Amino acid sequence: MTVGPSAATDCESTSGCHGHLARAVARALARRQWHPVVHHKAMPRYWRLGLVALCTLILSSCRAPVTNSPPTLPREALAGPPAADSAAACPEVACPDEVIGGTSQPAPLPYAPAGPWSPPGIKQPWPEDEYLVDGGDRGLPAAVRPDWQIQGLESEDTIAHFDTLDGRTLVEPSNPVFIYAPRFASVRKVVSLAQDEQTDQLGAVQQPTVPVRCDELQIAASSKQHVEAIRQNSAEPPIIYRSRSGDGAVSSVQRLGSFQDAFQPYENLKVIREGKVDKTERALLAAGIAAAIIWTDTESVQIMLDHQAATVDVGDQQDHDVYTVNEPPPCPRLRIIKVASTQTAEPGDVIDFTLRFDNVGNQPIGNVTIVDNLTTRLQYVPDSAQSSLKADFRTQQNDVGSDVLRWEITDPLRVGQGGVVRFSCRVR
Amino acid sequence: MVILLLTCVGRLAARQDEVHYLHQGAMPPGAIGSVQLQRGGPLPGFFQPVEIKAPPGAAISLAVGNTFEQPTPAPLRVGMLVGRVYRVRVTQIPLAEGIEVFPTIEIIDRLYAPKNQKRRFAIPIELTEEDLHMAAQGKFVTRVIYLEDPFRALPVSESQGRQNWFDVGRGRDPLAVADQLGRPVAILRMGGRLPRDNGPPDAAFLFGSPPFARYPASVRRLPAPPTSKPAAARKK
Repeated sequence: MTVGPSAATDCESTSGCHGHLARAVARALARRQWHPVVHHKAMPRYWRLGLVALCTLILSSCRAPVTNSPPTLPREALAGPPAADSAAACPEVACPDEVIGGTSQPAPLPYAPAGPWSPPGIKQPWPEDEYLVDGGDRGLPAAVRPDWQIQGLESEDTIAHFDTLDGRTLVEPSNPVFIYAPRFASVRKVVSLAQDEQTDQLGAVQQPTVPVRCDELQIAASSKQHVEAIRQNSAEPPIIYRSRSGDGAVSSVQRLGSFQDAFQPYENLKVIREGKVDKTERALLAAGIAAAIIWTDTESVQIMLDHQAATVDVGDQQDHDVYTVNEPPPCPRLRIIKVASTQTAEPGDVIDFTLRFDNVGNQPIGNVTIVDNLTTRLQYVPDSAQSSLKADFRTQQNDVGSDVLRWEITDPLRVGQGGVVRFSCRVR
Repeated sequence: MVILLLTCVGRLAARQDEVHYLHQGAMPPGAIGSVQLQRGGPLPGFFQPVEIKAPPGAAISLAVGNTFEQPTPAPLRVGMLVGRVYRVRVTQIPLAEGIEVFPTIEIIDRLYAPKNQKRRFAIPIELTEEDLHMAAQGKFVTRVIYLEDPFRALPVSESQGRQNWFDVGRGRDPLAVADQLGRPVAILRMGGRLPRDNGPPDAAFLFGSPPFARYPASVRRLPAPPTSKPAAARKK
């Protein structure tokens, strides 16, 4: 029961808060402790306990006042340096807030990015239903079974798996690419306002409308059926019922088109052209990166000894540095980066995708296979696949009505070697 | 205890679902949109681009100042406020000249298009010839336009630029069905009330003639002309 000056001091140190009330209660308690006789007679036990609980509640709620308004900056911070003719522009009259100082545009408020950009006022998660995503490894992590079947490969996934010298098979996902391509559909319901009047209903069917309906019947000769699909009411996508048709049995080997050496405009990134990571391009690539792996270190090697990167062994406080070579542990790694030709698309548009893969480990890797499981609304354009390295290309229908694209790089990848594969898709 | 109860109640009220399961598509125009505005978010005051499509030859006119403006050939691209109801007059319907249909369009959600792409990605409101004829015959047609969930989208292309649609079964609510398949963004109703015969239509019929923003009609981009160089390079 030593609630008194010390607690009040703590509250003052945190500032803001219900300081006045807390200090008054603390002073009252302290005053009571200085006169124990009066304290025991005047205050019953339940009253003292209630008062202590109240003080604890008040003191534990000490925090800085929270306001929803943005932080206010001094006018100088918004106006920037005062202009020379600002006094002449507003002589003896207070300038309104819209015209601050002599600058035409005020300095922007400080912006601290926290996560991916999203419209203000929108609670997370981001409305992803307006975007098509291709790339990455969502859901269950993809893995390669001993019989070379890939499990955990959902639609939208783009992965590459390879074999290491010690016999392991590793899987590396690419970065996801987001494309704004909303598509709409509609649900119709027709209600007759004269259902009980059968005579009127029959009279409403007039002969002049018959030719129109005949035309519509011909139009409706397509494969669409405008009847509500009951199975779509389930939580699972309706395409899952198509999975009965073969599992990997239908797979066609297609000839790869010749690779075009010229890079596309959207591939004008150093990491795509040369396989070297440039820090200035991180902002462009990081927008769609979810599986960034080795982007944190500079790839350029400063000192090479025996074809291996050397590290500083002696500190740089001296006039010279001593470099040594440490035999690194085997670390096979494959980096795969995906870019798209556009960020927005409408149904019917064709999007070009480029995958850049590099062996960024310290040992050769073999059986490099790149697999792209296209999402429902992306349709592979036939004969659009290209590869800069010798590879076998296969397509296979997936469970969501699209295709699985598969490049099998024939030759092993040496350390530092990389390649580019391209393909095109049409937005459904 | 009272504070704890108040906190729990407040959080429960804030965690209202995004779907419209408690509503019905048969609710009067404006009811669903007004509830949508009460849910918060950047919806009030936002002009959502909408593209109204109609059969070839049909004309569309919107309400301005408690009267309909001059008919404009379809398609028409305008910006409509979320939560308001717009009365549209459709005239010159093919094979039904002289008959006018007065559909209503209610925008109940918006899109979040990238910067400078807002007008390009408009919500399509399709007034099909079949719907117009059924409305002219006295039937009430309700279409709930929804944004497809990419994971549940049908793996088919839109035929001739027309959106995919289907009829719901008997006793089913189109709004609830659309909620299960995606995110409803607009409700089109036609076949309801008609304006009075003499004089201009009243304000209640036009739902107050809410403001709209007129955008230039979209220009359909033609496919790129075939180039001989890439084809020749592939055949090498």
